Amino acid sequence: MIDHTLVLSPTAALVFHLKQAFFMYAWPMMIGFLTILGYQVLGRIGMAGSVKWPVVFVLGSVVSMISLLGWAMMVRSLSMIPFYGCGVGVASAMMSRVYAVTMPIHPRLKVRIPRVTWRGDKKGIEQLQQALKARAAAARPGAAGV
Amino acid sequence: MKRILIGLLAGVALHAQGPVPRPAPELKIVEASGKATMLSSLRGRVVLLAFISTQCPHCQRASVVFEALKREFSGKLQVAEVAFDEGADTAAFTRRFGLTFPVGSISREAMDAFLGLEHGQRLGTPQVVAIDRRGQIRAQSERLGSPILQTHDYLRVLISALTELR
Repeated sequence: MIDHTLVLSPTAALVFHLKQAFFMYAWPMMIGFLTILGYQVLGRIGMAGSVKWPVVFVLGSVVSMISLLGWAMMVRSLSMIPFYGCGVGVASAMMSRVYAVTMPIHPRLKVRIPRVTWRGDKKGIEQLQQALKARAAAARPGAAGV
Repeated sequence: MKRILIGLLAGVALHAQGPVPRPAPELKIVEASGKATMLSSLRGRVVLLAFISTQCPHCQRASVVFEALKREFSGKLQVAEVAFDEGADTAAFTRRFGLTFPVGSISREAMDAFLGLEHGQRLGTPQVVAIDRRGQIRAQSERLGSPILQTHDYLRVLISALTELR
């Protein structure tokens, strides 16, 4: 309760409320979103088996740290929980539309960059399946180069 | 309709606390050393008074903010804190956070009376009160706490406004 007859600059109050809104609502939503996004990407990349183990290790460590940060933040305020859940829901819904996440080597940059293949991308899915078939054929005993 | 009205009245009663502005009641702040300060003796300066629990992390953080404000408004602002938690070691609290303003103790009943609260109501801490130079309470935390009255930037604006009042 502040005496409304006082002439106060509104900037300080505005900055306070903006900061509070960000940390109370947007931040837990972002943490929830990143947690699910990270675990989904980690699962898909890890299961694909085409990426070196140090990459999977670093990704797993970072994702678990984000997740733990989320949990540690929830302790601060119960009101953050719905927003954290909302972020988790948005990320889950988004990832349900993802067919695969691969890590191809960028032709010019020569580094692995995650590439998302969406369920609606029929051409991309077909290319991915052909690449998988070719790799399985190459790995078969008796195949050339093995 | 009758139920809604009763509910609204009950809600108002639950949130009841002293209005602002209002004259600050008298308060005796007794430090661990035995030194006593009367709130009325601070008239003529803006007073930032906080009712704290020494174990509460928000109160600890706010105390550091109040100390910084005291230095910033040197000579114009008097800061004081009173701890209402039972067995509060205010001397240790003062040492731990390097506080140079008086930190005393108070009973819960006396604190409730000062803040205009009904005794035993759930409370958010710290309860911060800003008093102008004429001894009028011009800002007070909501019963369940007001984080805005614990932030350095906002308190600086509030104290500046209070120091400029005639």
